[in-house]
Amino acid sequence: MKAAEVRKRAFSMPLHSPAYPPGPYRFVNREYLIITYRTDRAALERVVPRPLEIVEPIVKYEFIRMPDSTGFGDYTESGQVIPVRFGQETGGYVHAMFLDDDPPIAGGRELWGFPKKLASPSLRVAHDTLLGTLDFGPVRIATGSMGYKHRALPQQDAQRALGEPGFLLKVIPHVDGTPRICELVRFRLGEVTVKGAWSGPAALELHPHALAPVSELPVREVLSGVHLIADLTLNLGEVAHDYLAG
Amino acid sequence: MDVSALLGAVAAMPLASPSFPPGPYRYSNRESLIVTYRTDPAALERAVPEPLACDEALVRCEFMCMDSSTGFGRYSGAAQLIQVALGDTKGAYTHNMFLDVHPPISGGRELWGFPQKLAAPGLRVAHDTLLGTLDYGPERVATASMGYKHVSLPDTEAMRMLNEPGYLLKIIPHVDGTPRICELVRYARRDIVLRGAWSGPAALELHPHALAPLCDLPVREVVSAVHLIADFTLALGEVVYDYLA
Repeated sequence: MKAAEVRKRAFSMPLHSPAYPPGPYRFVNREYLIITYRTDRAALERVVPRPLEIVEPIVKYEFIRMPDSTGFGDYTESGQVIPVRFGQETGGYVHAMFLDDDPPIAGGRELWGFPKKLASPSLRVAHDTLLGTLDFGPVRIATGSMGYKHRALPQQDAQRALGEPGFLLKVIPHVDGTPRICELVRFRLGEVTVKGAWSGPAALELHPHALAPVSELPVREVLSGVHLIADLTLNLGEVAHDYLAG
Repeated sequence: MDVSALLGAVAAMPLASPSFPPGPYRYSNRESLIVTYRTDPAALERAVPEPLACDEALVRCEFMCMDSSTGFGRYSGAAQLIQVALGDTKGAYTHNMFLDVHPPISGGRELWGFPQKLAAPGLRVAHDTLLGTLDYGPERVATASMGYKHVSLPDTEAMRMLNEPGYLLKIIPHVDGTPRICELVRYARRDIVLRGAWSGPAALELHPHALAPLCDLPVREVVSAVHLIADFTLALGEVVYDYLA
């Protein structure tokens, strides 16, 4: 293959059969269980990178079912998002994500900088309960539960929750092990259609694991449980801050 | 976390718990079944990126068991490697690779540029047969078999294979989707201790799959097979050609 063709086709490895296709990345019937909880401010200070600032000592623990997504297929995700401020802007810093499908892990990490690992998350209805679980290898590390569709949530609350930007720390090493990319990335969801939104009683338990340290942001008090169903597009991102510049 | 602490700590994503640790990446008792076969020269022309060249239409289908590796754990792999040359230096270009564990996939892709995907490879002894398999999702895409330890292989022959440099095409996109890194990378194995090497009768069958296209390099004739057990360190790489320069 000619070098010019390599350059023209270069998007993802392997060149001839990329691990993930180019976007747009459209999700149909994306379903969320989001449990917002209070944690220790000191724990957040250790993990939130400057220039992001902590708003309140709050974490959003998410379980997400993606039954139909262009290019990524049918998969489930679970992780922690920290509400932050970047200058005058508010958004969510994605701290940790665990998925059961390789293309969105590789694409998420390499394109945007989503901090994704492979694990076994699930989100399902167990009779009266919306139940989210996360296993890392054979070990349960998170269980979230919520009363199923107890109270309808105003559409505008749901729309606002999905309208805020997300922030990521994209890190890619050079082949000699030195840092090659170290950037704060901003991304947004687009063309959001909320199909349903509910609140209800919720509970969350986290367990320690060496390689999936979700419990290092401990649950001090559960503040709310939200269940959302929406169609949306995950847009590409932009660099908000380059740690290697200057 | 302030910026100087971040730059000191940063190795891989996530910042708080990197998906792979820094090296060195040492393998103990790494076992592999390597079937070398002849394919169509035209298929290789399409697959091998300049400035690599291939003089013989030879491909290696390798099944491996990494029993103990520092930082990456215990895992299995399968790969398709093309025999290439860069100038006068012969080597092996990794065309497809599949692993069953995530840390070496994220580290392999992001550090070196190994074109790894998640699948279910296996290497095991089935009575008289050394059996290598690769399943992608629920589907079998490759099966290799070899007579178990039939003929001892000279150490020099095994060491020649283990000492060959490897070549990779490292591609990482920018956050806007444009190419950010597009490089030909060379890597080597260091501090090799050979534990055993054998040859024997072998067979290989590949099956088509949309996302695991091993069949793009069809098997025309099985040329040879080797079974290797060795310890070595997988060294970091160097850029030998930058497609974006």
